[in-house]
Amino acid sequence: MKLRLIEKSDLDLFVQNLINDYQVDGVKRKEGSFLYGSIKSPEELCLDFDCTVIPPKKYFLPPEETLFQFTSSPALQVTPVMESNPFILFGVHPYDIKAINQMDRIFARGVPDPHYLKRREAALIIGVDPTKVAPRSFWADMGAATVSEGFDLMLTDIGESFIVEIGSNKGRSLLEQHAKPRPATRNEARERVGIRSRISHICKKRGFAFPKREIPTLLEHSWKKFFWEEQASKCLSCGTCNLVCPTCYCFDVQDNIDLDLVHGERVRRWDGCLLHDFAKVATGENFRETRASRYRHRFYRKGLYLFRLLDDMACVGCGRCASACLPDIADPVNLFNKLREDEK
Amino acid sequence: MNQPMLEDSPYLPKWAEITRIEQLTESEKLFEMRLVSGEPLGHTSGQFVELSVMGIGEAPISISSAPTENDVFELAIRKVGNLTTAIHSSVTGDRVGIRGPFGTHFPVEEAKGKDLLFVAGGIGLIPLRSFIRFVLDHRDEYGEVMILFGARNPSERLFLHELEQWEKREDIIYLDSVDKSGPGWKGNVGVITTLFSKIHVDSSRTYCIVVGPPVMYRFVILEAKAKGIPDRQIFLSLERKMKCGIGKCGHCQINHLYVCQDGPVFRYTDIFDLEEAL
Amino acid sequence: MDKPRVAFFDFASCEGCQLQVINLEEDLLQVVGAVEVVSFREAMKGHSDDYDIAFVEGSITRHSDEERLEGIRRCAKVLVALGSCAALGGINCLKNFHDQEYVKKLVYGDKALLYETYPARPLKAVVPVDFEIPGCPINRNEFAMVVKAFLLGKKPEIPNFPVCVECKMAENICVFEKGMTCMGPVTRAGCGACCVTEGSFCWGCRGLVDDPNADSQRDVLATHGLSVQDVLGKFRLYTGFSEVAK
Repeated sequence: MKLRLIEKSDLDLFVQNLINDYQVDGVKRKEGSFLYGSIKSPEELCLDFDCTVIPPKKYFLPPEETLFQFTSSPALQVTPVMESNPFILFGVHPYDIKAINQMDRIFARGVPDPHYLKRREAALIIGVDPTKVAPRSFWADMGAATVSEGFDLMLTDIGESFIVEIGSNKGRSLLEQHAKPRPATRNEARERVGIRSRISHICKKRGFAFPKREIPTLLEHSWKKFFWEEQASKCLSCGTCNLVCPTCYCFDVQDNIDLDLVHGERVRRWDGCLLHDFAKVATGENFRETRASRYRHRFYRKGLYLFRLLDDMACVGCGRCASACLPDIADPVNLFNKLREDEK
Repeated sequence: MNQPMLEDSPYLPKWAEITRIEQLTESEKLFEMRLVSGEPLGHTSGQFVELSVMGIGEAPISISSAPTENDVFELAIRKVGNLTTAIHSSVTGDRVGIRGPFGTHFPVEEAKGKDLLFVAGGIGLIPLRSFIRFVLDHRDEYGEVMILFGARNPSERLFLHELEQWEKREDIIYLDSVDKSGPGWKGNVGVITTLFSKIHVDSSRTYCIVVGPPVMYRFVILEAKAKGIPDRQIFLSLERKMKCGIGKCGHCQINHLYVCQDGPVFRYTDIFDLEEAL
Repeated sequence: MDKPRVAFFDFASCEGCQLQVINLEEDLLQVVGAVEVVSFREAMKGHSDDYDIAFVEGSITRHSDEERLEGIRRCAKVLVALGSCAALGGINCLKNFHDQEYVKKLVYGDKALLYETYPARPLKAVVPVDFEIPGCPINRNEFAMVVKAFLLGKKPEIPNFPVCVECKMAENICVFEKGMTCMGPVTRAGCGACCVTEGSFCWGCRGLVDDPNADSQRDVLATHGLSVQDVLGKFRLYTGFSEVAK
């Protein structure tokens, strides 16, 4: 693997050059938290964040997106809406890249979803290794401390400079045309290994008290436990754990119509399996009526159902659900550890 | 990553024109439709479409006609929500949106040369009718055909004209029952499982196809098993909330299965041990 | 189809919800084009008792209100409760927790004897209501949505999920994270989490979702430092009527 290096003092120039040529989005500070947003000048870009409130999935599966516009008279007409404006997403942590890779598989498998895939294709992803670990993160234990694909460039802060790994040809030309990289020396490359292992080590302070590969089997034995009821009694059914999750992608579809009752659009919006009406059909039957059944479903989906489909759990250890859940019952680390404890 | 034809959104409907409307019961109507493009819908019995009215929305509706009925298809629709209410107020000549057909189908090929036991509860008859009509159109390709139909009360019985015909036919056995009797009803009264004692099946060569409300499955499956019908020859169709029809939106998920793609028709052996399925 | 005839009425309220209708701006012209407004005291002169849809703002606070509301109910094919006072009882119900004579004196002083009052209640406590648009004030887009639904012959659908959903979609930082408390987790969405987006917190003005986990919300509020009395106050601000009703 050939690694490049750019001096920190040159980073601003790199970012500015990108801004000149592209729409650039990246992490910004807001009220002590971190959010992805449009970057208009290099000073706005934050690379030493621990974790953002909402994951970068919003760029590929926006909270609300138009699928098509329609006209209902004089003749019925529909026009598909697909966004594919090229943009750069600057500063994505490996665990979020892992989540995007998983989402790519979901939206490409079977009948592909062009609305997602077009947005995804239009994005250049510049990853960055974390320098801080959010209090509830456990990505190291989820095998998401590093990724080998899913980025065009991957930056690692090694003090005075950034090591840059090239992940694609697009990434290579982006780097060459907009920055002044030089090849990294063997020592510098070694430094990246050390830094990665140090941060990973910090992250490993939180994690499962047993090998995570045992989670699917653990779930297979846990369906009937009272544990779910007990935990879910505190669940607000607010869907926050779903909405902040980088691997949750469920959506609802609705029509919006103008007051002329002729023009309108069909949109999809984020939905969440914790919400009361998620599995309710028009006849009134609700296939997951109780809090406990919805709460349990989320963990089975993460740890078992999607594992069966993808051979990988649908959790990357970002810890967003854990830190956002007010009654604090959404943390996969606490939950699976308790479940395992219960089993003994 | 696959390279899909990115211009073709799977969410875009095709247009269909309503060619005939028939009131089936107080709350159900039958809509005969034809795709405006002239192409056939191309479904197999057991599949469904996503039906839409612009500005109202979309809903999954099972196809009630046999695939062999030329270029038209039929949807029998109960008025329950906004979409179905809007469809009920439409008239012949109106255009609606259609996506699909989606999902798995009944064992139309696999059951050829075998006996068939159809068990329909209430509006479960709607998707089952597609297969029944196909079988009756290809009568010599199948063995014994038995149809058990149960409704809550006489006024909820659909396709009355067809039921009469089925009853008259010599080459099939048709039995029905209502949970609660009503004016003019002289037939059986009792839940659908009471009909099982009235039939004899050659269990090893019988395929049992069950469609009905969620509560019905457990009891009917017990009866089918008691008759000795092998588990893998029992098929059923499950209802769930479905928004996308292509296994993405997550609403219809049961375990690792998406009812819209891996179902709605399932072989009993594929789901009997899945929590939340039955 | 003839344009539906629409009338607006108000009871105990600030009339802020009707003001939201007027504030629809360009959409207002379209609404006015799609329906025939036959009575709207806040926006026009003239009045007619021949209408299809009645939008009624305000809560019922005296016996004489009941008679008037019953009259409206008789004329209207569809009666819509406009805003939290009409839909939930709303803020007016705060007085229900006090002695009514005391409240009257507090407000009207030595003129108290001239006024009639009884515990405030939502419209549905007096007559059947076909649809409710909660909110203090209402969300005008939601009002437009309801009008469109009626025009399409569709049952309007307002969210049955909590404000948290719209708050996350708006990428707000959680109010609790910022050291404040919030009713968002149990409050019906549909407002776009506007108060949080503007830097405040959710007051719960749209009432509770269908199946709120009130116990858990109480625990959350207590964990964030609220006293039992404060927690009660948070719940009572808009949904006090249902508390008494239980």
